[in-house]
Amino acid sequence: MPRPSRFSFVNLQSGLGLLIILLLAVLTSPRSASGGRIFLEVGNLTDILRQVSEIGIMAVGMTLVILTAGIDLSVGSTLALATSIAGLCLTTWAPAAGTPAKLLFAIACALAGSAMVGALNGFVIASLRIQPFIVTLASMIGVRGLARRLTNNTNIDFGFGSDAGSVFARLGSDKSTVVAIFVIVFAVFSVLLSRTVFGRRVRAIGDNQTAALYAGLPIRRTKIYVYTWCGLLAGLAGVIYAAQNHQGNPNAGLSYELEAIAAVVIGGTSLAGGKGSMAGTLIGTLIMGILTNMLRLNNVDSNTEMMLKAVIIIAAVWIQQFDAAGFGKRERR
Amino acid sequence: MRKYLALAGLASFLAGCSKPSAPAQKTYFVAFSQCNNAEPYRSAQNELLSRICSKKPDIKLTITDAQQDNSKQIAQIETLILQRPDLLIVAPNERAPLTAVMGKALAAGIPTICLERDIAQPNYTTYIACDNRAIGKMAGQFIVGRLTAKYGKPKGKIVEIRGLLGVEGEINRYAGAHEVFQQYPGIKVVHEAVADWLQAKGRERMLEILRAQPEIDAVYGHNDPMAVGAYLAAQELHREKAMFFVGVDGLGGPAGGIKKVMDGVLAATFYYPLAVDMAMQIGDRILRDPSYKPLKKYMLPTEIITPENARQMYDRLTF
Repeated sequence: MPRPSRFSFVNLQSGLGLLIILLLAVLTSPRSASGGRIFLEVGNLTDILRQVSEIGIMAVGMTLVILTAGIDLSVGSTLALATSIAGLCLTTWAPAAGTPAKLLFAIACALAGSAMVGALNGFVIASLRIQPFIVTLASMIGVRGLARRLTNNTNIDFGFGSDAGSVFARLGSDKSTVVAIFVIVFAVFSVLLSRTVFGRRVRAIGDNQTAALYAGLPIRRTKIYVYTWCGLLAGLAGVIYAAQNHQGNPNAGLSYELEAIAAVVIGGTSLAGGKGSMAGTLIGTLIMGILTNMLRLNNVDSNTEMMLKAVIIIAAVWIQQFDAAGFGKRERR
Repeated sequence: MRKYLALAGLASFLAGCSKPSAPAQKTYFVAFSQCNNAEPYRSAQNELLSRICSKKPDIKLTITDAQQDNSKQIAQIETLILQRPDLLIVAPNERAPLTAVMGKALAAGIPTICLERDIAQPNYTTYIACDNRAIGKMAGQFIVGRLTAKYGKPKGKIVEIRGLLGVEGEINRYAGAHEVFQQYPGIKVVHEAVADWLQAKGRERMLEILRAQPEIDAVYGHNDPMAVGAYLAAQELHREKAMFFVGVDGLGGPAGGIKKVMDGVLAATFYYPLAVDMAMQIGDRILRDPSYKPLKKYMLPTEIITPENARQMYDRLTF
């Protein structure tokens, strides 16, 4: 049986990684005019939370998918689709109604569109039995095309006035709103994964699909749910993206799927499925966010940043290999 | 009757024959090899070119999208050569890789117009150039001018948000501006960040820069979206009034940079010509007049867009 998620050793190791990155960030932080470390300013710390929220929300959905031993490469394109739908709904497709209705309409359409992409992924994977990598690779390409087609390849910018688009951007880019959405999503899905039947099924399928099948678990339905949630969460990240960047952008979210996967893997979730936790994913997301922030506060060249990130990803996954019995001993599988 | 003739012409073309012989039934086939539809500037180019061609009933336009990939663009041009267009317009993705295939098009007798980016050898009928270095210089001069007005002498702290590194536009918009900045010891570029032409990245980078830099006088974005992204970051920290923002591209339409100047977000933007209107003006003469010889190179001027002329430019460049 898979290990229970909370307080498991995998999280301890990820937690250690987080601690090391935090320490490094504090020690290397440049100082502000008043002498304090810029990294530790409340504004900067909350900036990090806000910046990781889009990838973080996607990583929550990705955790579910990876736990079933699947993968979803289409989340970046789905995010772009959601920003495009939200943009269109707030401008050209806007219903003749008051601003609150317009906002609700836009958000609902964006989420529904993304959930449909996810449901379609799940259906093809579970019912037609095509490998998740192939299916979501195809939808990554197709959904990007759809987003570009809907918007005719142009960005849809929101203004700075009092029209629905401007109001949407103003409300949705508020730091506390964004961070609150991230925290709520994370909390809800932590509970869903660790305390519900659905969560146990997700793990069981990834741990041993044949056993799950013989145990009579609804594999097909569970997989469709998982991919639908993943699509919907990518759409939610898209709504936040659109608001924060004042635009619907069909080219948004390029390679976001890889960042989300990196966050999940750094958090100790195994790509083989069955093993991992939401807490780990949160830690993985924060490690990447703090690392980025640390390098940029120090004005590190962007190419060097990419190289350092590569090293961190490998190091973080490497320390996961050591068994709970102690460091120096590799886990046998 | 003309309709049938046009259809016959089209049919003979589809059958892979050489160009229809009777001049009266002539339909001109214009092919535009675009390097990347995904950039707003380039989708504006496509839009403008489509509009121009739709007004000429005897011109049939095809646009291919190389998705920022040299090999794709080479393959697409090779296919186009086989289709024997009457005019080929190329917006090359990069200089060196596209040089040979454009030579092939010329050798096949297809008039070829090269847009904005020069290629390694003059394998084109005519080259319509936009001068990024001049734009960089003008942007630099504008910034220095504003700072001089503010402090009484040329001094101040500038943040630069750079485009995708290694691309011609980025290199020259950077070099042009720095040519100006270097002349004034009081002018300092305190932070440079790379945001790959993207508004979202511009915003993220700027948030970090704002934390690290307590004093910023001006932000120079290598395109409008990045400058707008930087503005959004500054606005969030209530610092947008302490500095001014300058971008490049000056596209029309509600999502373009000119609108941002009108909204008071950007202090100025610099028009990077779409160039397809000029290409079609010359191309049209090449198509209809076999004796016409265009110049080897046309240099398109840039224009500064400030609140004073923004409205007028918006009307001119929105379509």
